[in-house]
Amino acid sequence: MKIAVCVKHVVDETELKVDPGGNPQLKGAATKMSAFDKNAVEEALRLKAARQGEVVIVTVGTPEAKKTMKEALAMGADRGVLVSADPMAMDARRTAELLAAALKKGGPYDMVLCSEGSSDMYSGLVPPMVGEILGLPYVGYARKIEVSGQAAKVERALEDSVELVEAPTPLVVSVVSEINEPRYPTLIQIMQAGKKPMEELSPDALIPDAPKSASLVRGMKAQAMARKRVVFEGPPEETAKKLVEALAAEGVLPR
Amino acid sequence: MDKELLPISPKIDTGEAKIAGPRKALLKQGMCQIAFPEKYGGLGLPFSVYAMAVEMLGTAEASTCLSVEIHNAVAEGLNRFATEAQKTKYLPRLLTGDSLASFTLTEPASGSDSGTMATTAEKKGGEYTINGSKMFITNAGEADLYLVFAKTKNGPSCFMVESPNPGLSFGGDLKKLGMRGSRTSEVVFSDCRIPEGNLVGEEGKGADYAKEILHGARIIVAALNVGIAQIAYDKSLAYARQRRAFGKTISEFQLIREKIADMKTDISAGRMLYLYASKIKESGADYSSEASQAKIFSTEMSLRVCDSTIQIHGGDGYTTDELHRHWRDARLLTIGEGTSEVLRMLVARRELARSQ
Repeated sequence: MKIAVCVKHVVDETELKVDPGGNPQLKGAATKMSAFDKNAVEEALRLKAARQGEVVIVTVGTPEAKKTMKEALAMGADRGVLVSADPMAMDARRTAELLAAALKKGGPYDMVLCSEGSSDMYSGLVPPMVGEILGLPYVGYARKIEVSGQAAKVERALEDSVELVEAPTPLVVSVVSEINEPRYPTLIQIMQAGKKPMEELSPDALIPDAPKSASLVRGMKAQAMARKRVVFEGPPEETAKKLVEALAAEGVLPR
Repeated sequence: MDKELLPISPKIDTGEAKIAGPRKALLKQGMCQIAFPEKYGGLGLPFSVYAMAVEMLGTAEASTCLSVEIHNAVAEGLNRFATEAQKTKYLPRLLTGDSLASFTLTEPASGSDSGTMATTAEKKGGEYTINGSKMFITNAGEADLYLVFAKTKNGPSCFMVESPNPGLSFGGDLKKLGMRGSRTSEVVFSDCRIPEGNLVGEEGKGADYAKEILHGARIIVAALNVGIAQIAYDKSLAYARQRRAFGKTISEFQLIREKIADMKTDISAGRMLYLYASKIKESGADYSSEASQAKIFSTEMSLRVCDSTIQIHGGDGYTTDELHRHWRDARLLTIGEGTSEVLRMLVARRELARSQ
């Protein structure tokens, strides 16, 4: 079974700092593999372990994205494909087109796995777009995947229900974090990852004369949270009561 | 480390959680493969890389780190002094953590002065019979391989004793001030018979082997102390930034700033010393003095830093396990694996000899 996993190298949102003007400090920020991408890699490795085959990591990214690639290879993927372009300088459609072109070039794949959304922009647009461009079925928000023969049974974790769908392979599936617990690579695997093949592709070679992105992010602002700064004074038994009443009035306490 | 060890580190100190699980996971991840040859399952990386990994582990949980460090020191001893057949048999399983090792040198009446050891190993037929007892032994009762030092007719010698063995028994887990996750107890040998092939190296050279193993371990203990100091410093810095007094955070007071500057400088100096000693070890030159210097400085430095952590936190520092455990953990290490006093003796002796 040949599986491709689309991953993204992103800024680490847990380490991101915001300047007094509310602008996130992206330059020099810590980076990492997008959080749920590890679940997608893990699922691919589990499917491969059960059915043999190959796991290929595909990403659109700057040279720094090799870190994420190496991490996925250390987890156990066989090889990587890096489309050398900055995903922050393009819209989701352009990213999906580049990923789809790279998948087409290296394919055919039996399954393309993605996470439900990247932990930086979290648009969730790229996986269904990749499916659409490749003309493959797309199943989103998978919490369980079973493959038998030429079909995949997928449990979709929806807001208030679980949906069981069956789709023919090849297909594109996006996963949610509850699908599995990603493994930690051992030191030996981390060292061996550097020796695994990593192909670099130029976006212009993949899609000559491609149109520019239809939309671009011009700026980002952190949401300002105004504090109410209410101070209760008095003995604890009275202030505690007032605090509970105030919280109840705000509707933040369960009944 | 972040996932399996750090979250339970307070419970390890209070005895509510055990280190066996996270220790196994760390060894499986390759913690002790770093500086060993690839043919035995190692990664063939420089010793300094292992030392840096130990520093990181020291920030997470010191007693787990101590247990792993002792285990690694035994593996290093075997790599240096064992026969090829012994290395092929024992090293792979030690490096993956399938076996746990213990370094068995100190006795109730004999510490750094290993020449006075009372434990004996008598050779008869194709066997050695070991009698005596060892004290303050880390990993005792948990390990399945014991590197034992005992006197033969040719002087102190080094042996591997596999557990279980009818002649091998253990005392109860000693109650300690800190380092509460690692098991420490007496190891008793009563007519403990082992095959003669379990002799490591040559008879009579055990004291030299022990010294060599301890030189490397001292660099690692220094790295562990830098890790302990680092986590204590991190907690102090975070507290100083949020604790307010007289209308401002205490980090704005000059005397707290002095502490922060001194703590940070101390930690950086400790780190440089263990890396410097590691580099000399890697070059193949004599590093005994530098290893001892690193251990003397870093163990005492760590106590200073952890003491400042308690002072900066005030009453909370004195009454909160999570704050004073770093001082309690660090307190062992000016004693274990060569006291500061003995190591100063060793540094002076070595430097006087070098200057001749």
